[in-house]
Amino acid sequence: MNSIWDSRLVRFSTYAAGLLVGAALWEHFGGKVNASYGAPLSATVKRFIFLVSNGQLQEAVLGSLELYFAGFIAAVLAASVFGLLMSRLNYLRVGFENYIMLLYATPMIAMVPFIKSVLEIGFAAKFTVVFMFGFFPVLFNTLEGGRSLKPEMIEVAKSFRSSELALWRDLLIPHTVPFILTGLRQGAGRALVGVVAAEFLISSSGLGGLIQDQQGKYSMSGVFASIAVLTAMGLLLMWIGRVLENHMAAWRGLNR
Amino acid sequence: MTTDAGATTRISGSSTAVRAQPGHGLLWRIVSSDIFAKILVGVVIVMVWQIGMDRLGSNFDYVARPSGVVQAIPVTIAPEWYFVNVLKTPEAYTPVIRAAHERFKNGIVSTIGAIFIGLFISLVAGTVVGVLMGRIKAVDRLLSFYVIAFYAMPMVAIVPVVVNWFGSAGGGTRMAIILFAGFFSITMNMADGARATPPEYLDVAKAYRAKPWDVWFGIAIPAAMPYLLAGIRLAAGRALVGAVIAEMLTGTPNSLGNFILLEAGNLRYDEAFVAVLVLSFFGVGIEVVLNWSTRTFLPWYRREG
Repeated sequence: MNSIWDSRLVRFSTYAAGLLVGAALWEHFGGKVNASYGAPLSATVKRFIFLVSNGQLQEAVLGSLELYFAGFIAAVLAASVFGLLMSRLNYLRVGFENYIMLLYATPMIAMVPFIKSVLEIGFAAKFTVVFMFGFFPVLFNTLEGGRSLKPEMIEVAKSFRSSELALWRDLLIPHTVPFILTGLRQGAGRALVGVVAAEFLISSSGLGGLIQDQQGKYSMSGVFASIAVLTAMGLLLMWIGRVLENHMAAWRGLNR
Repeated sequence: MTTDAGATTRISGSSTAVRAQPGHGLLWRIVSSDIFAKILVGVVIVMVWQIGMDRLGSNFDYVARPSGVVQAIPVTIAPEWYFVNVLKTPEAYTPVIRAAHERFKNGIVSTIGAIFIGLFISLVAGTVVGVLMGRIKAVDRLLSFYVIAFYAMPMVAIVPVVVNWFGSAGGGTRMAIILFAGFFSITMNMADGARATPPEYLDVAKAYRAKPWDVWFGIAIPAAMPYLLAGIRLAAGRALVGAVIAEMLTGTPNSLGNFILLEAGNLRYDEAFVAVLVLSFFGVGIEVVLNWSTRTFLPWYRREG
């Protein structure tokens, strides 16, 4: 039975059938419902081409990407430096870990009104939202790395008179990087949610702004096209995260 | 590398902050203890927050800070008891405070209730769909594209669409977003788990001519419990965010997300922050319960990484 199912033709045709059935259902029901409820696939594609041709979509994607990378790169850098420091300073780690756990479990979306109360509405406020969405997953996982570093390893390094610099370069950082990448993969998706949430709740811009703009024009097809682009971005980021993590998983001794 | 099951098990004091050494005095032993380190860091965080907000100047008097939140906790949670029995100033128990307290109470019941119901539905449906995807290749190939794509779709982006379908008043949109956030996470993990069913189990089942549904529900699901728990943990975190996003964007009446927005809109940021604390502790509570059940019901399972 397995051999039939694994043949290339069957595999390809089942994948294709799934996509075609989905597309057909979308086209059929999207065209049947009221125009404020949905839009068929063909209209969405048409609207997508229109939004590309007048440059609106590219502008929105660039705006969202700028916010995403500014906030998320800052979050990854800050979290990995802070996390590494805590891996070395045990006292700091034990002191901080419960609070980090608490903030990791907090839905950061609930902090948006507070960020708005302190920062002026604009890029800085949105940057802070994305930063907070991305920061805690990375920090939480970096800390796991620090916790799993056996004191014996440091003792061995010390007994060979390793300098602090060499200890970081050859033990601490190589040990912790795979954990940072796990956090990066977790945070990548969360930060994308943060981008759209910031664009919705703080001030309209980027793809979140485009969704609101298209909704204001009663164009469901425009909303669907924007969501499709966001999904493609999410898939791409997930894929990059997975590739990076698998690349490093060999180091950690996990081959999942 | 094999470590103990669950993240929080290790957080609650497996390794000590500073190794105790003979000859150290009592003071040193207290200062170097784990609990002292935790309290010290807590005090520093609260002080930095308080002083930082005070420094913003008088234009920012409304911004949430520890001194205000401490007062807001009894005012929000039990105002009648606080004003009548503790402060002995029943006249300060104004209708505004009473109304906020009612909204807070109803918000907890409605938000957390919706998350539990949504997670339960996601769990049942996601387990069934996931096990079929994991065990039947045709189902996997038909559905996996959609499960992965909907999982990667930022849930906040679909709120403006879903609100047209379900409206905001009854919490229908919120339930849809919770299901969207929970279902695909559980399905994805369950499918991974069912795909990884140990082949020896399947050989034995085959030798005894087990029915397919016995293999799915009697073997694949129990064997995939660790994956399922990871899926629930993922789903719970996403559902919590999704619920609050939906409440904030659609103004679901009597919900914690809406409570935060309303109080913040009235410059009662300290009261709004109490609701954030509730959400944080709920999030941690889920983690703790999941870790506890991993240790209790799946002692054979050692989490890797």
